Amino acid sequence: MLRTIFNRLLGMIVVMALVVTIVFVIVRVTPGDPAAVMLGPDATAADVAALRSRLGLDQPMVVQFGRYVLGVVQGDFGQSIFLNQPVTTALAQRAEPTFFLTVFSLLIATVIALPVGILSAYKRGSTFDQVATTLAMFAASVPSFWLGLLFIQFFAVKLGWFDTSGYGGPGASFLERLNHLVLPALALGLVSSALITRFARASMLDVLNDDYVRTARSKGMSEWRVVLKHALKNALIPILTVIGLTAALLISGAVVTETVFSLPGVGSLVVSAVLRRDYPVIQGALLVIAGLYVLVNFAIDMLYLAIDPRVRA
Amino acid sequence: MAAISAPLQSEPNLLARLMGRPTSGIGLVVLVVIALAALLAPWIAPYAPVKLSVAHRLEAPSLTHLFGTDDLGRDVFSRMLYAARTSLSVALAVVVFSSIVGIVLGLMAGFFKKLDMPVSRLVDAMMTFPDILLAIALVAALGPTAVNVVMALGIVYAPRLARVVRASTLVIRELPYVEAARALGVPTPVILVRHVLRNIASPILVQGTFIFANAILAEAGLSFLGVGISPDIPTWGTMIAVGRQYMDQAGWIMMFPGAAIVITVLALQLVGDGLRDLLDPRLAKDI
Amino acid sequence: MRRLLSVAALLAAMTLPAVQGAWAEPVKGGVIDVATVGEPPTLDPMASTADLVGIVTQHIFETLYTFGKDWSITPLLAADLPGISGDGLTYTIPLRTGIKFHDGSDMDSADVVASLQRWEKVATRGKQAAEVISSIEAVDASTIKIVLKKPYAPLVSLLAFNNAAAIIIPSENAGEDPLTKFIGTGPYLLKDRKPDQFIQLARFDGYKSREGEPNVYGGARKQYLDEIRFVPVPDPNTRVEGAVAGQFAYADALPVEAYDKISGGKTKPVILKPFGWPVFVMNTKEGLNSDIRIRKAVQAALAPNDMLTAAFGSTDFFTIDGSMYPEGFAWHNKVGTDAYKSDGDTETAATLLKEAGYDGSKPLRILTSRQYEFHYKMAQVAQAYLEQAGFKVQLDVVEWATLTKNRQDPKLWDIYITHSPFLPEPSLNGFMSDTTPGWWATDAKHKVVEAFNAESDPAKRAKLYEDVQKVIYEEAPIYKVGDFNALAAQAPNLQGMTPSPWPFFWNAYLEK
Repeated sequence: MLRTIFNRLLGMIVVMALVVTIVFVIVRVTPGDPAAVMLGPDATAADVAALRSRLGLDQPMVVQFGRYVLGVVQGDFGQSIFLNQPVTTALAQRAEPTFFLTVFSLLIATVIALPVGILSAYKRGSTFDQVATTLAMFAASVPSFWLGLLFIQFFAVKLGWFDTSGYGGPGASFLERLNHLVLPALALGLVSSALITRFARASMLDVLNDDYVRTARSKGMSEWRVVLKHALKNALIPILTVIGLTAALLISGAVVTETVFSLPGVGSLVVSAVLRRDYPVIQGALLVIAGLYVLVNFAIDMLYLAIDPRVRA
Repeated sequence: MAAISAPLQSEPNLLARLMGRPTSGIGLVVLVVIALAALLAPWIAPYAPVKLSVAHRLEAPSLTHLFGTDDLGRDVFSRMLYAARTSLSVALAVVVFSSIVGIVLGLMAGFFKKLDMPVSRLVDAMMTFPDILLAIALVAALGPTAVNVVMALGIVYAPRLARVVRASTLVIRELPYVEAARALGVPTPVILVRHVLRNIASPILVQGTFIFANAILAEAGLSFLGVGISPDIPTWGTMIAVGRQYMDQAGWIMMFPGAAIVITVLALQLVGDGLRDLLDPRLAKDI
Repeated sequence: MRRLLSVAALLAAMTLPAVQGAWAEPVKGGVIDVATVGEPPTLDPMASTADLVGIVTQHIFETLYTFGKDWSITPLLAADLPGISGDGLTYTIPLRTGIKFHDGSDMDSADVVASLQRWEKVATRGKQAAEVISSIEAVDASTIKIVLKKPYAPLVSLLAFNNAAAIIIPSENAGEDPLTKFIGTGPYLLKDRKPDQFIQLARFDGYKSREGEPNVYGGARKQYLDEIRFVPVPDPNTRVEGAVAGQFAYADALPVEAYDKISGGKTKPVILKPFGWPVFVMNTKEGLNSDIRIRKAVQAALAPNDMLTAAFGSTDFFTIDGSMYPEGFAWHNKVGTDAYKSDGDTETAATLLKEAGYDGSKPLRILTSRQYEFHYKMAQVAQAYLEQAGFKVQLDVVEWATLTKNRQDPKLWDIYITHSPFLPEPSLNGFMSDTTPGWWATDAKHKVVEAFNAESDPAKRAKLYEDVQKVIYEEAPIYKVGDFNALAAQAPNLQGMTPSPWPFFWNAYLEK
């Protein structure tokens, strides 16, 4: 078992090393010059060259890469070219909206998806099942940014129920900030509920056919007890897995959603960093997100390892 | 995971069976209609997609302009037909590109033990990036052309396919008749194509359908963010991006392309589900 | 249908606050949120020419001079207009005394000299000025002297401008590049900054305002508001939606399509008329447009009427105008503008093209971005008209970041699209210098521009500017598309605002 854990850890490190390299390569072949963007429209070529050398952008690739890796290992992702602050600070400042957006979307998705998925499985083939399955598929077909736009138009502009953009000013209370998250979380949560619904349904179907559930039934246990106590308990692990993976996927959805709602989160930071050619920020954000994904995966692996002895082999 | 699935059924048979199911039947019909509309765009579109008429900008849907006109007075219906061409062919190209890369990587990892570790780790590393983020970074790096969008999304989706192919290949490699073929000295490429590929065609087809659906959504997202295909080529995503500015004056510019995306992706999912149920009953229980 | 007030009614609506102000005494206190077009790349106004940087930092930093009504130059940190020697070479500038920096220290001539020297090194406009400046020195604690190598009339305008601005900072900070301490003399000081979230400015209690009445950027600066917070909202539609929802006291640079939407309830539209001019800059150095005949063909082919309609919707938001400066500016004149055809002249363009021997094999490359949607719309309409005239056109739509880089390379483009506010001093326009992208440098240009820059008498300069405009139309180094108005949204209870391309919020107050 220890060996398995060790191997997984090693694999994780290899993956992260690859991630660091891939990120660096992608970012450096990107055309466009952060120096020119910073100096504004009237900058001369000489100004741009001077700023480039100050930022170290005129160094050979290998040197830049070496410096970068050295920094990353020490937890230093460099200095944002545009924002004039360390990348780690920039990321930390934007973690909150992204974190809560992800958590709330996940919550919304789960609250919708779990009961619907379980009931669908339980009433397999019924009208409810068919309608629910089709609705879930429909939800998965809607572009989240388009849904977000419709929400803004209807709930924020027409009805004036929520704030449309941003994340509150300085000193905004937590509740005020939450108000800004309702619509984006709803848009993202609805779209993501599809995946969880379908997975919950499939996992429940799986266990409902298992022997011990049949046994429990034949013993005359009430239907609800069978479903909730025995079946759900066993279906929970695969469902948790998919929720974990959905969380990772949500970060991707958050990129577009944050942009639509002007939320100052990690996603919109990356998009603007790409537009501003802020290399260190793109690198740092991609690394952190990829790192989170690796960690989630590792945690899921460990969870399986702890629960299912067959995986240990 | 797909263990050994039924070899791919011959085409007419499979089509007939898909049509026989109400959901996938509807999906298939819708897809065919959309594909035909895209293919025949030059003949059925009432106007050229780039024909400007500034004097007739932002006109509401009418008999002359079925879906109204956009900010430059172009016919939204005609543009949507041409956009369908771009959006669908980009997504299809993504499927082909990611399939080729995914199959090669998957076969390498699954069939050759020495390659398994490095290829699998590379695939793992690629999968750690959220799809849109990686695509944005790649398109920014390569430039906003259709080919680059296809490459970027192809790279994003290839690892998923590679995993499926690898898993299936691992199982198939150990099958008695494959081992026998190897023992008889049949060249590896022949084994790979004749035995392995044929056996994993079903999961690839199923995955391909879902990648198709995802690619349509992803391309729209990229175009919407302004990091997709050059905006002078109409796609559903760029049309939504333009329509957003006129959301309350001219909602039709945004509504119709959005609806087109929903319908197409939904149809693809219905067909994908049908395919999976038919080809791979074991797989049907997974997502 | 668009329901627009007549321009007259709008103007009346805009002047109304001032009238009300005479009745109700402005109230002190309150915090406002201002939606801006994005995160400024820096808070050092010397280091950037971006309008956004100027808008935010003009509250923190001040210059020696600034602009009053009708863009007249008026002193700010200087006590008075400069004394200019008879040969036009020596400018003696008296400074105000008792001015405090945000860190509590006093401003004196040493700070001013150090700041102006930094400006010569760091700011693009400063570098432009440095070519003619021979020395900047302190005469006494409250007087400085600038000596020029040759007469240079735009100098005081350059000192007054709010981007690449000649701001005054403490001498001990003047060695910094990049600037890290944002200490100025302005009515508001930097309290907190969270990039991409807000820039928070608070009233500077040690501020010493000029006496008298406010005069646009000049005159008295009243500090009614407690705090001004600039919130970057890069997406224009999101700015509109936020304004409609009452989230912002002021939302800058809105798409004109939003006019109806912001007309109800929690916000009201503000039109800045005229705001600026969209321009097609031609690459006179390399490629197709290095041939003046091709440039003249482009000039003839373009149809500003359709281009502006597509970009700005209705004539409430644009004017078809070939003059480099619209009416109301001293520089306004109509010399040479016959070449500007509101609906284009496809036939003439086609003939010119034929004469130039253009065979349609080489595409005319138009470099543009969607950072400003109206650029892209004009590009699309321009493409249609140019193709009608026989051009083969290639639209290169890139990100703004890439555009600012690519335009530096004469091999990459034939036309690039940008826009500018009407700058109070014509010499500040990029194409007036030989080195900005476009690289217009001909004998005819040098002759008229040098005469214009050397003259200091305003009336004579206006006359000399006619010659400049004539050469611009003859040689077509740029194509001015027209005049456009800008739209902003303002909360009904925000009073005391003066419409301006670079909105400022001293003198503004919240009505209770």
